[in-house]
Amino acid sequence: MKLINLRSTLHEGLSDIFHVWSMEMRNVFRDAGVLIFFILVPLGYPLIYAFIYTNETVREVPVVAVDESHSATSREFLRRVDGAADVHIVAWAADVEEAKSIMREKGAYGTIYVPEEFNDRLAHGEQATVSIFCDMSGLLYYKALLSTCTEVSLDMNRSIQVERLGGATPRQSEVSTRPIEYEYVTLFNPQNGFASFLIPAVLMLIIQQTLLLGVGMSVGTFREKNRFLELSSIDEHHHGTFRIVIGKSLAYLMIYMLMGTYIACFVPHLFSLVQLADSWTLASFMLPYLLACIFFAMTASAVVRNRETCMLLFVFTSLPLLFISGISWPGASVPTFWKVLSWVFPSTFGINGFVHINTMGAALTDVSSEIRALWIQTGFYFVTTCLVYRWQIVRSLKVAGIKGNK
Amino acid sequence: MRTVLHRIAMLIMREGRRMCSRPLYVFCMVIAPLFCYIFFTTLMADGLPTNLPVGAVDQDNTSTTRALLRNLDAFQQTHITAHYKDVTEARRAMQRGDIYAFYYIPQGTTADAIAGRQPRVSFYTNGSYLIAGSLLYKDLLTMTVLANASIGQQTLLARGATEQQALGFLQPILIDTHPLHNPWLNYSVYLSNTLIPGILMLLIFLVTVYAIGSEVKEGTAQTWLRTAGGNLPLALAGKLLPHTIVFFIMAAGYNVYLYLILGYPCNSGIIPMLLASFLMVLASQSFGIFLYGLLPSLRFALSAASLWGVISFSISGFSFPVMAMHPTLQALSVLFPLRHYFLIYVDQALNGYPMLYSWEAYFALLVFALLPLFILKRLHKALLHYRYIP
Repeated sequence: MKLINLRSTLHEGLSDIFHVWSMEMRNVFRDAGVLIFFILVPLGYPLIYAFIYTNETVREVPVVAVDESHSATSREFLRRVDGAADVHIVAWAADVEEAKSIMREKGAYGTIYVPEEFNDRLAHGEQATVSIFCDMSGLLYYKALLSTCTEVSLDMNRSIQVERLGGATPRQSEVSTRPIEYEYVTLFNPQNGFASFLIPAVLMLIIQQTLLLGVGMSVGTFREKNRFLELSSIDEHHHGTFRIVIGKSLAYLMIYMLMGTYIACFVPHLFSLVQLADSWTLASFMLPYLLACIFFAMTASAVVRNRETCMLLFVFTSLPLLFISGISWPGASVPTFWKVLSWVFPSTFGINGFVHINTMGAALTDVSSEIRALWIQTGFYFVTTCLVYRWQIVRSLKVAGIKGNK
Repeated sequence: MRTVLHRIAMLIMREGRRMCSRPLYVFCMVIAPLFCYIFFTTLMADGLPTNLPVGAVDQDNTSTTRALLRNLDAFQQTHITAHYKDVTEARRAMQRGDIYAFYYIPQGTTADAIAGRQPRVSFYTNGSYLIAGSLLYKDLLTMTVLANASIGQQTLLARGATEQQALGFLQPILIDTHPLHNPWLNYSVYLSNTLIPGILMLLIFLVTVYAIGSEVKEGTAQTWLRTAGGNLPLALAGKLLPHTIVFFIMAAGYNVYLYLILGYPCNSGIIPMLLASFLMVLASQSFGIFLYGLLPSLRFALSAASLWGVISFSISGFSFPVMAMHPTLQALSVLFPLRHYFLIYVDQALNGYPMLYSWEAYFALLVFALLPLFILKRLHKALLHYRYIP
């Protein structure tokens, strides 16, 4: 007797879920607005971003040279700087004032100034200074100019030292100018490029934000037309809300399994970004991320009253969410208050987890804390989604009831 | 004239009622921008990230290497949080996200250095966290150069050189850097000055499109036009004037907050920035009208506004310079109002140049403000005849 009961409940449950799933699928594919967010934006946006950052670093930053020393050494210094990949000397100014006026006209982003006494000081064995002035409108100009000048100076310092030591053998002089040799390795982003750093984070954010927008728009439409009423018949069954939520989320999950594969596997490949992910690790991370995003979006959709308002509410959050995740401003320096707030959003763990797996080749155990957090979010937002949907349905019944009584 | 003023007053009152009756307006015009002002400036309140976790692999473990690591720990950006027994273990810690960099000193380093056998140390940074990685690279490199210098200096001083001579020998050419007008390399100065107006701009696009589009959606467009006596420019002006006022107060608010309260560099004085902010509000509202006139469907126009607003942040070039982008994108960047605002900010607030140097950017914002003129006819038709399409 009990067995039959269980079987019929199961059967009824599955058919309800299937019904909600197919209804939602139809809704999504009939609604061009939702389709834009679910298909077009995830397809197109990563391409736009990759195109913007395709050059990875700045090369040939234009600078002005002011050589008051007029010596062979100063000329060599400037020639070597000009020859480096990141800096390009576009003008030679007579003095710093002229250089500044060129910078004002935006002809250059920096000035390299070699003072008059430069060569005399070197000849006397004293320390000589080269000054660089840099426009701070972009940190990458500063970085290019500073690192190029530092490298050239370190290089020239060594040959000056070797020259001064005179009689010593090359090996001896190398040892006394540089007692300790060093080696610098930048892991996971060999070019120190902008795309390899930012795109993986943007990719994960796109998943969460398009779900927020798409689900928000679909719920907004539902509320406008009071279509939650249609769901009430299912809700009357015991545990009906579960079935509605599972059915709908299943529809979203199916769409986003495809989009997620495109975003997480195909896009990095297309733009030859660093891609060290192990496919199983990636899969066992993406599943909870997608689920957490889906239920988070379904819960958040409770605030969407109209079809279009989702865009006004959610689009601007992309920037704070990107910054709070700790990918650009380092997570270790995010103030505690914002850190705690960041745990509310799946994107925080999604971005860090994906960067660890995709860019840094982390294994499953290395990202266990992110995966655990995403499963906790999945569970939590599943419950809140059920509550929110139950509330919507009860409310729509009331509204309908009032209308019916009139 | 009196009827015009009367109509404008009626339109303003009508819009005021609409704005007050929907929490959405208060949220998008006041709460969301305020939240972002506070968010970005408190997130990066330190200016530069401090005490970033770094690992050490010290296989030598002598008093010299311990002193070196202690000195490294004392650097402002670096905080040595853990010691690992080998490079593999440290790399795993980096993959877990525990550390952003590590310093590797192989066994025998001290002995080799003293004996003149030139040992090799290595430092590794995590390139996928670009800012943390580059800041730590600077510290780790400086520490290594200093360690070299201190060994070299000891040798030279022992041979009887003066300190001055020793410096002249160890580092004949010294680079002296002057980051103009942001000597602290403050990231909040560098980012908030464009992120904040960018977000306000995005919200202005969206609110403007929504305000016009919702009239069509709710079927009130004709009443709206009738209130303006069928005069579309008047209808737009009266409807959007309350928005202009609120948005300009919000824009003036961040100017006061950034330049007067937080003391960010404002070398031009605040007037050129207030003018830029005012033009930015007008340009963004006009761009919103233009988008709706071009795509008279609420959903499409809002999507386009979102796209434009979000792309602005990348294409305005304040994080990744426009000069490093593809030539096509360099040309396209002029179509984004934030790009021009950013150029004004750099010339005015940051560098304090005379306003004449930024006339092109001011002018460009003015051109944006004139955009609605091109679509008035189309918009009029849309308001009178189009039905809302979901």
